[in-house]
Amino acid sequence: MSVIGERSVFKVGVGGPVGSGKTALIEALIPMTIERGFSPVVVTNDIYTQLDAEHVRAALDGILSADRVVGVETGSCPHTAVRDDPTANIAAMEELLDKFPDADLLFLESGGDNLTLTFSPTLVDAYIFVIDVAEGDDIPRKKGPGITHSDLLVINKVDLAPYVRVDLEVMRAGAESARPDGSPWVMTNSLTGEGLDQVLEFIASTSKSGRSDDVRQLLAALPPHDHSHSHDHEHAHTH
Amino acid sequence: MVSGNEYSSNGRPHPEPHSRATQLGSFLGSLQLADTFFPSGLFTLSHGIESFAQAGLITPQSLAAVVADLVRASVGPSDAAGVALAMRAAQSGDLEAVAQIDRRLTAIKITREPRETSIRLGRQLLGLSRDVFDSERSRSYLALVNDRAAPGNQAIALALLKADFQIPVAEAVAGELYSFAASCIGAAVRMSEIDHRNAQRILYLLRPVIEAATNDALSRSLHEIGGSAPFVELMSMRHEEAELRLFSS
Repeated sequence: MSVIGERSVFKVGVGGPVGSGKTALIEALIPMTIERGFSPVVVTNDIYTQLDAEHVRAALDGILSADRVVGVETGSCPHTAVRDDPTANIAAMEELLDKFPDADLLFLESGGDNLTLTFSPTLVDAYIFVIDVAEGDDIPRKKGPGITHSDLLVINKVDLAPYVRVDLEVMRAGAESARPDGSPWVMTNSLTGEGLDQVLEFIASTSKSGRSDDVRQLLAALPPHDHSHSHDHEHAHTH
Repeated sequence: MVSGNEYSSNGRPHPEPHSRATQLGSFLGSLQLADTFFPSGLFTLSHGIESFAQAGLITPQSLAAVVADLVRASVGPSDAAGVALAMRAAQSGDLEAVAQIDRRLTAIKITREPRETSIRLGRQLLGLSRDVFDSERSRSYLALVNDRAAPGNQAIALALLKADFQIPVAEAVAGELYSFAASCIGAAVRMSEIDHRNAQRILYLLRPVIEAATNDALSRSLHEIGGSAPFVELMSMRHEEAELRLFSS
């Protein structure tokens, strides 16, 4: 089974700073996606292994089978594990999808590089970046690839705004100006469900438009004597 | 820049053993495969070093000694010897012999984590070799692995690719040991057990150890594949039970 292959599994990356509510968002979304007809699985990339995975398993006890959630050790480099060298995550995904052939939605969670986290296009079809109001209302204006280039920006824990002296209007204005034209963003409270319908709609609508990252397409961009690998092996091999 | 006519129609250098194109081509292949930029997944492994760190046993001196022991007594006689034998078998087109070496490697990996991670990363590398480098050997071998006829250890996957890249066997084995040593030392740096200067110093001082282990690995037969590093194996078993883990081995 290849993650890069033909199988129709929609892979959603959920990234963002530690403590912004990525795990809580996934835990709140899973029952909603099941109700919507999806069959989800979850891969988490922890700083130390298994803590997030165990949290998800416990929170979804009775809703999602515990073995549909796996944790990946990232060698102290979660950003590398979800971008530069996704080998361990691809292996974890393939093993999970082999075990659950019914799965059609995969959440991949990583704290990664804080505001600069991005996912390898091999690993995810869409990428949700989660920040929270307690980090400060200037966070959207600080930009960074997660805020500017994610497919959906989530500003979580809106209920905390009055307690951390954050002006939600400042965050709204910051998000509007930081996001490219028309890129979606949403304010949420994962514990009460506020804003989560919009996140679910984003997943449901985006899942219908797949993305192809066939490495072979690159060959067409190379000079003639370098892209001859794309032919059908008429040449003799040495083995 | 090498001119186009020094390359065959498949984009690889012509196989003349002494041509400049072949030497540079295989050298560049060695660089690509030994580079930490290469997506081998090695950065997720500590090869037991995380257990040493958690036991408070890592200093620059002890790390140098542990990695030297691992190269000499564990990885050299096992994975590195497997690379040498598998490359020779692959070059003569004998994938069944490659599978025998592969099975032997799994049989001699006593502790669970190194055994499982080697296969997990090996299978990924076979897929990468097939998809990215159009390696026919890797494609055929991955089919054997998918049929459960061979486990698909990382050393074997690398050997097939190195054979494709026409890297000389001795250089391929030395490259495997260098990557292993760099991976152990890199893990210690990421755990802040040593700094970047000591890391490079250890890697530099390990060169004669890697050279001797390479020569030893080149001389081994199938039945001589197998290392022994009991203390590291005990630490590896301890890692399976560790409550806090950054690495998968």
